Amino acid sequence: MTGSGPSVIAGNGGARRGNGAEPVLSLRGVSLSFGLDDRRRPVLSDVSFDVAEGEFLCVIGPSGCGKTTLLRLIAGLLSPSSGEIIYQGRPITGPSRDRAIVFQDYSKALLPWRTVKGNIALSLEACGVASSRRDERIGELLAKTGLGHAAHQHPNQLSGGMQQRVQIARSLAQEPRLLLMDEPFGALDAITRQTLQDEVVRLAAETHTTVVFITHDLEEAIYLGDRVIALASNPGHVAAMIEIGIPRPRSQLETREDPRFLAHRHRLFGLLQGHSR
Amino acid sequence: MKRRIRGASIPALLVALWEVGGRAGALPSDTFSRPSDILVAGARAFGDGSILLATWQTVEAALVGFAVAAIAGVLCGAVLGLAPRLERVVGPTVDALRPIPSIALMPLALLMFGFGLNMEASVVAFACVWPVLLVTIAAVRGIEPRLLELASTLEMPFGSSLRRIILPAALARIVVGLRVAVGISLVVAITVEIVVNPRGLGYGMIIASQSLRPDLMYAQLLWLGLLGWGLNAALSAAARRWPGAQA
Repeated sequence: MTGSGPSVIAGNGGARRGNGAEPVLSLRGVSLSFGLDDRRRPVLSDVSFDVAEGEFLCVIGPSGCGKTTLLRLIAGLLSPSSGEIIYQGRPITGPSRDRAIVFQDYSKALLPWRTVKGNIALSLEACGVASSRRDERIGELLAKTGLGHAAHQHPNQLSGGMQQRVQIARSLAQEPRLLLMDEPFGALDAITRQTLQDEVVRLAAETHTTVVFITHDLEEAIYLGDRVIALASNPGHVAAMIEIGIPRPRSQLETREDPRFLAHRHRLFGLLQGHSR
Repeated sequence: MKRRIRGASIPALLVALWEVGGRAGALPSDTFSRPSDILVAGARAFGDGSILLATWQTVEAALVGFAVAAIAGVLCGAVLGLAPRLERVVGPTVDALRPIPSIALMPLALLMFGFGLNMEASVVAFACVWPVLLVTIAAVRGIEPRLLELASTLEMPFGSSLRRIILPAALARIVVGLRVAVGISLVVAITVEIVVNPRGLGYGMIIASQSLRPDLMYAQLLWLGLLGWGLNAALSAAARRWPGAQA
């Protein structure tokens, strides 16, 4: 797994973030507009924040506020119109294997002609892992993501939750330092979503991966995040940045009843209401 | 099985009527040889190997032309499909060249290559490249954008993403273009042989016709039909075995 640098003890509450070390990712005054000249439409305006090594950062906002655009900027699939995005001390110029994305629409992001194993192998092939070592790595990832029994099935034979597990396994296969997740559980049923939430937290901690997690679900953001950034729309900008500070490991039942959880929920709910038209 | 027998009943009846009509003198024997004579002529042509040589010459030209068109069409189509700006530059030229009837290039091909394989294959390739190119462009454009983004976040070099993602994702639609092209390749090869090139089944048929041997001509025609059917079946089987389609 990624032998990451300084830091990060999972299950240690808000203290997961590095001790004043350089942030992994840093956005400085990032703005983006689509279209040309008089049809120019600003999507994001002056977005700035840092993400520390090992942090689990959630970004929430109403639909159309530019959350996904923000994630695509960090991935390097888009370039900002102004401002800069610094990753590991260098401005991002394009996509990198070091920053994996888990897309929202899992059914479109998997190769339908490859089995679960083959889909995971894709990342390993791209990373140049020798074919003799691939099976072993795939085996580990399948076990980790609870896909062991599905190795030889094709994506269309799997439920949505299982397909999303495949995407997560494929992303982890490229051993990213930064995992970008775009509303990964938005289309899943409540039970599956809760299971996967806990697994993602566990996997991120085990592999010391920094996570930027986009969601429109308030409770999901508070439950998962070390910190939550609320975006407001037209154009998208940072409305609030909240330290969650609820210790880990968290529990689907008790954490959601924690007074701090409820307080954050109150505050964020008010913020989002106020800003969504 | 029953369905097959039922489906074969009409052709069988027609052949029987043809045979009876021929023997009764109701059909002109200089255009309608009797099926029995056709079988005999076919058997002789197989016996002396002439039809096999002609078949090889025709198939060789058709396949060489098809292969050139398939490789060029799929590669150029993939590039143009991924680069809409380039496509806007190249598109008008393609649209200008495409309507030229490939058969009209025979005189030019004859000047360039003389009689023989190259001349025939070049005309076949010209005819076949357009359907492959256009279908590939459309197929590559229809690929799910997530998959292309995946390729770029994995930093795959173009060749690798072409082989692992783009071609397999577009394959089902590209195969449609390839099948159309296989059909065209045989049509064009035979036409070139009938019109100018003194080799292959087309040439054999026109010679049989001109020397008043309708039986031999029919035998070759029948054989040609089987050949086209076989080529198409072979291509379908090959498409199912595409490396990216499994794994």
